[in-house]
Amino acid sequence: MSKNLLYKNTLFLLRWLPLVLVLFCILFYFLMRMQAHHMQEKQLLLKQQNIWNAFTKKMGAIETTIPGEYIINEGVSTDEKYLDEPRDTVIYFESLKKAIPFEALTGQFQWNGKVYNVTTFVSSTEINHLIIKVFITEAIILLLLLLTIVFLNRKSSRRLWQPFFATINKMDEYDVTKNTSLDIPKETGTIEFNRLNNELNKMIARVNNAYYNQKQFVENASHEIQTPLSIIRSKLELLINQPDLTKKSASLLGDITEANDRLSQMNKTLLLLAKIENNQFPDVENISLSQLLQDGIVSFQQHYEEKFPSLTLDIDENVSINANKVLIEILLSNLIKNAIEHNVPGGFISVKLKGRNLYVENTGAFLEGNPEELFERFKKSSYQSKTTGLGLALVKQVTLLYHYELSYQHDKGIHEVKIKFK
Amino acid sequence: MKLLVIEDESSLLNSIKDYFEQSDFLCEGVLTYKEAISRIEDFSYDCIILDINLPDGNGLKLLQYLRQCKKDDGVIIISARDSLDDKIIGLNHGADDYLVKPFHLSELNARLKALLRRKYTQGVTFLEAGSLKLNLASREATCNSHPIALTKNEFDLLLYLLNNKNKVVSKQAIAEHIYGDQSDNMPSFDFVYSQIKNLKRKLKEKGGDELIQSIYGLGYKLSI
Repeated sequence: MSKNLLYKNTLFLLRWLPLVLVLFCILFYFLMRMQAHHMQEKQLLLKQQNIWNAFTKKMGAIETTIPGEYIINEGVSTDEKYLDEPRDTVIYFESLKKAIPFEALTGQFQWNGKVYNVTTFVSSTEINHLIIKVFITEAIILLLLLLTIVFLNRKSSRRLWQPFFATINKMDEYDVTKNTSLDIPKETGTIEFNRLNNELNKMIARVNNAYYNQKQFVENASHEIQTPLSIIRSKLELLINQPDLTKKSASLLGDITEANDRLSQMNKTLLLLAKIENNQFPDVENISLSQLLQDGIVSFQQHYEEKFPSLTLDIDENVSINANKVLIEILLSNLIKNAIEHNVPGGFISVKLKGRNLYVENTGAFLEGNPEELFERFKKSSYQSKTTGLGLALVKQVTLLYHYELSYQHDKGIHEVKIKFK
Repeated sequence: MKLLVIEDESSLLNSIKDYFEQSDFLCEGVLTYKEAISRIEDFSYDCIILDINLPDGNGLKLLQYLRQCKKDDGVIIISARDSLDDKIIGLNHGADDYLVKPFHLSELNARLKALLRRKYTQGVTFLEAGSLKLNLASREATCNSHPIALTKNEFDLLLYLLNNKNKVVSKQAIAEHIYGDQSDNMPSFDFVYSQIKNLKRKLKEKGGDELIQSIYGLGYKLSI
């Protein structure tokens, strides 16, 4: 699952930084303990020296044992392995009724031909407390450091990626059909983003160019096709006026005429689509949608007469929009025509105009395939071979041009197209 | 009647010439702007059929030239450009009519007849052929002097057939003539069939039986 960059970055930091910090904490603890032991050793040695000096100076006339400080044993040879090696020990204090840990060091000295063992003690409690306190302080500082790193990282990430998000937003607004350039800065202050923007600008220029050429091609091709179509049509008219026309050849001519007319129709529609795409209908006027819709339906009723399906009308009065009249007529007539042509015997059509929402509902065959594709060029059910397959594409093109919302629903043989005008 | 057809596509030019020669027009054809200019300078025509996209010049210039010379030849533009602006520009340059390619020859014929009528029969608005008489101003028709009650579409249809009398007019041409651009939205020609049926019935009632014949389902012919 995809998460955003900031989240991932923070997650990464939070996953690895604490681990690293804990490892460093442990290392720090051991180093500190080593240092502390070293310091205690030095202390014990110094103490030993001082006590021995005092002992010899006073000719042995000092206290030989002070609990927790030192013990001087004469002639008693302690186990060799303890000599000059600091060791942990515990001393029981009668007054406190408590055993307290000490660090002890035993050294061997000779004086007046006698051997003395001097053992000095340093309390371990204080140093242990110190180690714990330093360790806790260290842990708190590292925790704060962790939070600060995460915070700073988030802040800097946001700032660093800002040109990237700006570019993405511009990309989002980009619409190839409008043939506009992508308005992103060449200089972002970051080399990588400069490169990104630069490459994007280049790519968009190529895309625009390709799109433009494609549109031009369709338009030019449609124009060029007009001439041969005209020739075929004129020759066909001359042929049907031949006096020696037979029934057989008439039927052939009929088929050719029909095919030629369909070709001519398709060509006209493709040209129209190209023109809408190229925005060659710039004239916008205030038009009465209610009126246009009613007129359109009436003219279709006249043409289809008895074949017109039963009709339910519910049209709000005085709904008007600002648009090109020709385009809106194309939109409405193609919608209605579609509802009639794809109807079933005994079916119905319902046209509703509620405010700026137009609903055209009709009975028809069950839909097979993707409803989205209905509005694509040349997408049609195979049984309707006599239509051009461009009617709904025209509808879509007009809605795209004016940013009308176009939606389609199909439910058990009832089709509904909804257009939300602006 | 003398016609000049200026069209760079020779095949289409021949079709137009053939079609009008069958209707007893005197028809000349040229393929280029240059030729057209020299013909216009030397002769006068009842009507010029002009393609404005010529390889060696713009047909609109030719039109301007014609009007500057105060020649009153009727002009029908035939063009592949179908936008309203193009039509307006053409008509503003002094054309009498504008027909978009691909067109039906019967449509061109009807437009030509209408143009010539406007030009030569000022004030006369009657069209007579055989037993039929059409009043173009009041849009009334009579057959054997009996008035026929016709709807708007039926009158247009009868007029169209009359303009193309003794010629087969295809049902596509009829559809396009009567419904104009809207016929694009009518993939079925049933409505032409039913209009013709009604018209035939009404003519029959007034003794105009067998005036309109169906030609193998391709189209219809008004024989006078």
